[in-house]
Amino acid sequence: MTRQFNSGFSAWLKRDLVLAYRRRGDAAGPLLFFVMVSTLIPLGLTPESARLADVAAGMIWVMALLATLLSMDALFADDHRDGSLEQLLISPQLLPMPILGKMTAHWFITGLPLTLASPLLGLMLSLPAAGFVPMLCSLAVGTACLSLIGGVGAALTVSLRKGGLLLSLLVMPLYMPVIIFGSATVGYALDGLNWLPPLAALGAMLAASVALCPLAAAGALRITSVN
Amino acid sequence: MNWQWFHRLGSPRWFYQTTERWLPWLYLAALTILSVGLTWGLAFAPEDAKQGNSFRIIYIHVPASFLALAGYYIMASAGAIGLIWKMKLSYMVMKAAAPIGAALTFVALVTGAIWGKPTWGAYWVWDARITSMLILLFLYLGVIALQYAYQSVDAASKAGAILALVGTVNIPIIYKSVDWWYTLHQPATIKLTSAPSMHPDMFQPLLVMILGFYIFYALALIVGTRSEILRRERKTGWVRELAAAEVRS
Amino acid sequence: MTMYFNSVADLLAMDGHGVYVWSAVAITLIVMAWVLVAPLISRRQLLRDVARDIQRESQRQSAGSTSKTKNEEKP
Repeated sequence: MTRQFNSGFSAWLKRDLVLAYRRRGDAAGPLLFFVMVSTLIPLGLTPESARLADVAAGMIWVMALLATLLSMDALFADDHRDGSLEQLLISPQLLPMPILGKMTAHWFITGLPLTLASPLLGLMLSLPAAGFVPMLCSLAVGTACLSLIGGVGAALTVSLRKGGLLLSLLVMPLYMPVIIFGSATVGYALDGLNWLPPLAALGAMLAASVALCPLAAAGALRITSVN
Repeated sequence: MNWQWFHRLGSPRWFYQTTERWLPWLYLAALTILSVGLTWGLAFAPEDAKQGNSFRIIYIHVPASFLALAGYYIMASAGAIGLIWKMKLSYMVMKAAAPIGAALTFVALVTGAIWGKPTWGAYWVWDARITSMLILLFLYLGVIALQYAYQSVDAASKAGAILALVGTVNIPIIYKSVDWWYTLHQPATIKLTSAPSMHPDMFQPLLVMILGFYIFYALALIVGTRSEILRRERKTGWVRELAAAEVRS
Repeated sequence: MTMYFNSVADLLAMDGHGVYVWSAVAITLIVMAWVLVAPLISRRQLLRDVARDIQRESQRQSAGSTSKTKNEEKP
């Protein structure tokens, strides 16, 4: 009984990463969105460095959130279309584990590139120097939360036609605590305070999400993907 | 223990016929208590020293906010009961509860905004309470939208229940986060209600209004559930008889 | 208990705050009424639809067509 304990986590993690790599162009979409939209901010607001510096931290967080939201749909959509989702549902593994693998892959594909690109955006939006490291840390942890929470929304809307838009509406309220603490991490640093407490709160959210979101998504998939 | 009453509760027809008798009393109770409370609060209670007469909006704003939040938990509980015991009626209650809760959240937001104008000079202030209420409204709208998006009633109910439960877990997190966020940026918070330190002459009508709103909520939930029962059970014999009788009259 | 205001005109004006208070009350009452009335309207509409379906089915049956009733699946 102890011989095989293949939870499916790493199998599906690897699978999704390989599939994303094959369609690199598609996978790069959120990252491109993230960078391009950062041009909209000075155009819409002001090119003045001082004023940009005031809003940079929050705006980068908002854009990261939106970019993640755009990509959430793709978590289950392709699998639903080609039938691999059904295969997943009838496989012997406990459903939450492969789902966690997919969500982790999603973070590697979307959240991690966003995090790594954020210093560039910080530069372009005149983010003060003190904010860069906190921005990296908060985005790294925060986008992981976003992938997890968004996955629940994706599971709830996978079989719907206009699922993407509904997904955004459903998941937005759930994202709000993440952005509050995420941008507060950077805000604290910019104010010269210790920025670890808000980061710790983000970490707590990540821990809770890792534990609960795969379960919720599994429950949702069992219901929704039969339609 | 005799669980028969619980399982009988699962019959939509039983619910429909039983509540038929309760409705007139509920209408009467809601109307009376709300009228008493409103008149008391608007005309008889003393005005606030700092805010003047505009504080009277509290008699609507606070009960609406209470019910908006309580209503979400009622909706989520109905969803949970449906998921656990697979009770159709529970899903119907959940579906009916959503628009009522959303409407009350809307009332809370609008009355809060109207109250804000004479008190703080602006209709919309991003304080913790209003922001949390707004997020609650979005949560309600999400549950409503998700149920409408599905063709299959069964899937719609279950998906809605899951979303409602996910929202339930998130509501304390959201409230606390927004509260914390607000204190970051606005150290001097003005409390809209300081209930314990309210003068009894002002507090008593508030209690009456809260009671009245609860009764109103029960009434609205029953009315909405009955309508939903008819819609989902329209192929059954008893609904068809009802329709035939209604048309004859 | 005596009324806080001296006259009905005072009650409506509320020292200048009357606009706010009464518009809040009005909006609330309208929304509450709508919440109670909308299900009743939809109920009546539904019962009429069901009655119409019954009528159509009985007409079809008496006209001697197949005994199967048309199954309409409404979302």
